[in-house]
Amino acid sequence: MDRETNTSDLTIGSELRGRMRLMTRERMRWYVDAQPTVGMDTGRIERQEPTIHDDDGYARSQGLPGIIADGMISTNWILGLLVHQFGDTVAREGALRTKYVKPIYEDDAITSCARVTAIDHQEGGRRVKLDVWCENGEGTVVTVGDATVVLR
Amino acid sequence: MTVGRYVSDLEEGDVLGPVEYTISRFVIREYAHAVELHEDCFQHKDGQIAPPTMVHLDKLRLYKSACPEGTGPHARVHIEYDATVHAPVPAEERLSVKGIVSQRYVKRGRDYVHMEIEMRAAETDKLLITYRDTVILSYGGENEKAGG
Repeated sequence: MDRETNTSDLTIGSELRGRMRLMTRERMRWYVDAQPTVGMDTGRIERQEPTIHDDDGYARSQGLPGIIADGMISTNWILGLLVHQFGDTVAREGALRTKYVKPIYEDDAITSCARVTAIDHQEGGRRVKLDVWCENGEGTVVTVGDATVVLR
Repeated sequence: MTVGRYVSDLEEGDVLGPVEYTISRFVIREYAHAVELHEDCFQHKDGQIAPPTMVHLDKLRLYKSACPEGTGPHARVHIEYDATVHAPVPAEERLSVKGIVSQRYVKRGRDYVHMEIEMRAAETDKLLITYRDTVILSYGGENEKAGG
């Protein structure tokens, strides 16, 4: 993805693609650990009970072949794509919806993508609407949704 | 309101919270590192704000407050995130979060729960983020649509 893309050049149909990332065991665990770390706010990394995202035995006990990624990782990777493209306005105003339609397994190759679907010009700026998704290495869409970015 | 029970006991109309907390610089950085959001707005001291996706963890905060016995016998799977950012969430802001179970229903054998969460600045009551969370309770294995 080109960070220097001028947002004024965006047109309906413009497509953004992030860099491919492997959904490693470590990336899954980072998010698992982030949850109690944020919740407890002790200044240390906190751990939690086994989950389907970091414990193979527990995941298998829940009918899975192994651990799967927490959906919020793909949501955040899409958010990162939008912040990278549009700047911190994405975290100040706007909307993001994501739905997890397929599991993401260990070492799946995940790419975050977005496509402009509408640009509403309004006083003081533009409201850019996008379809967003993540796809795996086979091109299968695993996460879908939409976003609104406000550019002032 | 369901208190002292499992998350799986939540019913439509249950109100969770409000719960107040201060969102520290440390937790914003830790969260942003974990999901590889390395932009200055999340990592630097000057003007630091929270990734809006952190509102999802407020659901867990509300669960912990209202349902301290935990998830229940089966894994819960998050299937949809839907947030609107009304204003940025500054580091070190005192926040108030409240949730309401807006829907619970069974569809094709799956037990869906929707919760509407509002995050506000505790001192001014300014609305910062509204969030609609969807989960499936009693996760049924890899044939389910899967999230987290």
